Amino acid sequence: MKPFSYVVPKSLDEAKAAAAQPNTLIKGAGLDIVDRMKERLQTPATIVNLLPLKDELKGITVEADGGIRIGALTTLTEIENHEALQGAQFEGLVGAARTTGTPQVRNRGTIAGNILQFTRCWYVRSEAFHCLHGGRGPTCLAMTGQNRYHAVMGWSDCVRVHPSNLAPPLLTLDAEYTTVIGKETRRRKFAELFPEEPRAENPEHTLDDGEIVTAIHIPQQSKNARCTYAESREKQSFDWATTACAIRIVMAGGKITEASMVLGAVAPVPMPRPQAAAMLIGKEPSTKLFRRVAEKAFQGAAPLAHNAFKLPIGKAVVRDALEQATR
Amino acid sequence: MATPNTPNPNTPRAVEITVGYKALSPNQKDRLEKIEVNPAEGDAPPWDALTEYQTVGTDVDRTDGMQKATGRAKYAYDISFPDLQQAMILRAPIARGILKSLYLDEARAMPGISAVVALKKDGSKIRLVGDAVAAVSGKTLDMVRDAIEKIRADYEAEQHNVDYLMDEEAPMLDANGQLDEEWDEDSKVDKALADATHTHTGTYRTEVQTHSSLETHGNTCRWDGNNLEVWASTQATFGVQGELARGLGAHNVKVESVDVHAEFVGGGFGSKFSAGIEGLACALLAHAAKLPVKLMLDRHEEHTAAGNRPSALMQVRGGIDKNGKITAWDWRSFGGCGYNGRGGAVRYPNYYMGDAATRRKHKDIACDTDPARSMRAPGYPQGWFGAEMFLDELAAKASMDPLAFRLKNDSEAMRLDQWQFAADKFGWDKARAKKNDANARYVTGVGCASARWGQLGRHGGRRQSYGVTCRIHPDGMVEARNGSQDIGTGLKTVLQILTAEELGIPASRVRGVTGHTSDPLGPASGGSTTTPSIAPAVRHAAFLAKNKLIALVAAHLGVPEGDVTCANDKVGTKNAKLDFTEACKLVGQTPIEVHGERYPNYRDKPFHPGVCGAQFAEVRVDTWTGEVQVTRMFGIQDCGLVIAKKLAESQVIGAMIQGVSYAVHEQRIMDQRSGRMLNGDFLRYKITGSKDLPDIECHMHSVANGHNNTGAAGLGEPPSTATAAAIGNAVFHAIGAPVRHIPITPEKVLAAIASK
Repeated sequence: MKPFSYVVPKSLDEAKAAAAQPNTLIKGAGLDIVDRMKERLQTPATIVNLLPLKDELKGITVEADGGIRIGALTTLTEIENHEALQGAQFEGLVGAARTTGTPQVRNRGTIAGNILQFTRCWYVRSEAFHCLHGGRGPTCLAMTGQNRYHAVMGWSDCVRVHPSNLAPPLLTLDAEYTTVIGKETRRRKFAELFPEEPRAENPEHTLDDGEIVTAIHIPQQSKNARCTYAESREKQSFDWATTACAIRIVMAGGKITEASMVLGAVAPVPMPRPQAAAMLIGKEPSTKLFRRVAEKAFQGAAPLAHNAFKLPIGKAVVRDALEQATR
Repeated sequence: MATPNTPNPNTPRAVEITVGYKALSPNQKDRLEKIEVNPAEGDAPPWDALTEYQTVGTDVDRTDGMQKATGRAKYAYDISFPDLQQAMILRAPIARGILKSLYLDEARAMPGISAVVALKKDGSKIRLVGDAVAAVSGKTLDMVRDAIEKIRADYEAEQHNVDYLMDEEAPMLDANGQLDEEWDEDSKVDKALADATHTHTGTYRTEVQTHSSLETHGNTCRWDGNNLEVWASTQATFGVQGELARGLGAHNVKVESVDVHAEFVGGGFGSKFSAGIEGLACALLAHAAKLPVKLMLDRHEEHTAAGNRPSALMQVRGGIDKNGKITAWDWRSFGGCGYNGRGGAVRYPNYYMGDAATRRKHKDIACDTDPARSMRAPGYPQGWFGAEMFLDELAAKASMDPLAFRLKNDSEAMRLDQWQFAADKFGWDKARAKKNDANARYVTGVGCASARWGQLGRHGGRRQSYGVTCRIHPDGMVEARNGSQDIGTGLKTVLQILTAEELGIPASRVRGVTGHTSDPLGPASGGSTTTPSIAPAVRHAAFLAKNKLIALVAAHLGVPEGDVTCANDKVGTKNAKLDFTEACKLVGQTPIEVHGERYPNYRDKPFHPGVCGAQFAEVRVDTWTGEVQVTRMFGIQDCGLVIAKKLAESQVIGAMIQGVSYAVHEQRIMDQRSGRMLNGDFLRYKITGSKDLPDIECHMHSVANGHNNTGAAGLGEPPSTATAAAIGNAVFHAIGAPVRHIPITPEKVLAAIASK
């Protein structure tokens, strides 16, 4: 690890000021940053530690409008256990939190850290490889190399996948996020957090340098709404999903009246699948319908040399999430 | 029953002992027989099947468990000194080629750097990504890393290949991964196959598994003149001592001037026999720096340049007669090896073959990767996976229950008892009969496989026999010492338990000390030899020490030595007994110190020449996603005399956990273009975690083999032979199609289901 300065802010203003300096990394739990710094993949001049701002940036509250505010530093364990999130409306969010990492990771890891995760691509994350990501080389090495865990859709010049498992359910819940930068406070739709056309030179998110996520907001959910999450993986302890799917539906009179679907781990960003979700509207749940929806969700997917397995498995995961949502 | 040998003139006293084992369950028989053995003169009298033990075989805790759990145990990694220098190795970035030139001066001039040594000469071959080129020591790892970046090494790269199946020597596979080449003619095998009632052919594959010891390879070295002290993470203290002395010959170093310590070792599994280039580099750096140096590999180096269990490709064709007896067995296998093209040999369980016409061919294939190193039963888990799975497929062709099929063909009598006992415990009949609903998303299945290894211990190295020092201290504490290492398997506890048993005192009063080459010679911990080799010497040492104490007590009481016993924590005669600790006060200021000898095993045929085991597995398969969860396992395993029951169980359960990982998770993934391993860490190299583990139960089967005064047999390897095979068979049962290639990853399961 290269030497760096470490800022322990006493207030959000101090954090903002420090974060505005060049070559600065903002750290929540720091679970991944330390690894990357040890490997010298990242050599920031300054690290701003947000954890001292727990009081401001942590905790789950129900707002006056019935929406739920989740502070950026809220841990995954808190999300798992909080009473405001125990309903069927949030099952997918809680379920995604529960499958993450290990108990130690969940006790430490934050919601903002989860959604702003750095890619797990083994070419990007090795100092030995120089790929297009971050401008370190001329081409995406995974595209023509060993791409078992890489994208099957939605990529342009880099086939990494987005590793966050909380992002898909948050997107289906129509969540928003608040950030601060300089004197400005911004609140935007969650979809804006991810680049529209994910390119190798762009980070996993659209935040500006020095911009700090302070909270996630989930709008009030109707009583009949249900959000579920399913993922495939290669082991149960401490693994990232090979495919994931979050669904939100609203049922009335035995029929689905609202539906949204977001796939995870299949593209450089969490992938909303509005056309697949639209097929559900006005229909009664059935195995046959779910099979068709699952096919639709992966329509146009083009596997690379080593990840064709993601298609049948991803479709099974879509069906799984749908079955959970209508059970 | 074994025939007694002609009495040896040096050991006039032949002793009759009872060997074998008592019935495993009420519906089985005792398997006991009497044999005559000829112990060496002066050796402790043999224990046998009728011996009643106080401490041996009981649930004594691991003696250093608390030290390990609380972090007080000091591993090579933990050794520190003022001025300790940290070190790293510069590793080649190409998989094959020549080191053209190496410039070290700029690195030497970097701040904080104490030494830089070249590990290759200009013009040397580079044989894998990660080949060691130079080493640097300095004040901190970051300074060392900065200096490493300043080393200029020029290479001439040659075309490489890191996939043995791409080698021109490799056989062709068809689209289903089945070996697609003609068999050579063999009149006997061909006839047997032609005559068989049912025949079957299948190709089986295993992938590279890394040892993944929690403590990586490495050492801390400190020189004092020409004397070198080494704290090593090793499974061969004496091997490292000799190897470093030879390697440092130019520095006027002799074997006796190297002292190796390995008091605690964080696992080895067969990868840590050699001091390695990292050991030599550490010693050279410490010599050049004139300061103590620590050099431990990082996790990526450990995965890529510290050995592995090589992959295997196996094809079997075989046949059975109308009674279900195997009549033909034709085997050809290929080992997927590293650059030296060695170590890929595969074994199979030949005890099933009886009088069948058999043939066996094997070829190792090299590619430009890290060479194989022995790993927990080298060649067995691969071959057992292929062979035991083939047996289940063959049994299915004949519509036979896999267990019934094994009972018919297994020629090892001891395992026949084990099969039946374990099948009852596991609930085989009921579980095997259970039918999965045709439309069910989750299906279950059960499978079984045998375990085998043969190791009854050796009496010594080429020049010297193994030994143990036993000391009885005046405060009543007893010490048993041997210079071999305890790599986590439990040698310290074995020393403790055997000594306590022989002296008739509580185990808490004995301290087992291991891992210092200044203590008596012991073996490398390989091939499951440590306990069976050392145990008889531990007993002998305790026996001699006991006799000395008895002599003191006899003199003190004024009675003949023959009247004095040492048992139940008392020393004395029927009428006059001293507490053991009281008796020890008679020792005076200098402790009793004796040297116990490891005599050769009795020449009589033992009850069983090796060890046997059997394992059963149950899996649940998600037919939608292809995920396999191993839900339940039962294993029975013999290891001769079970000395430390808890630790023995821990060995078996540990092997089963490692086997679950081998069967469904672990595989090395290489980047063909760069020749580099892509998943050289513990996140992407997937090792079974706690949520992936089945309920595991094991039964230790204690057997008196009658091969020496103690009768311990090796335990490290045998339980690791069966697990992956049993799981493979359970998956076959669950989904009705074989997945012949481990790890059994989701996509392979889905492909197998689709092929039905």
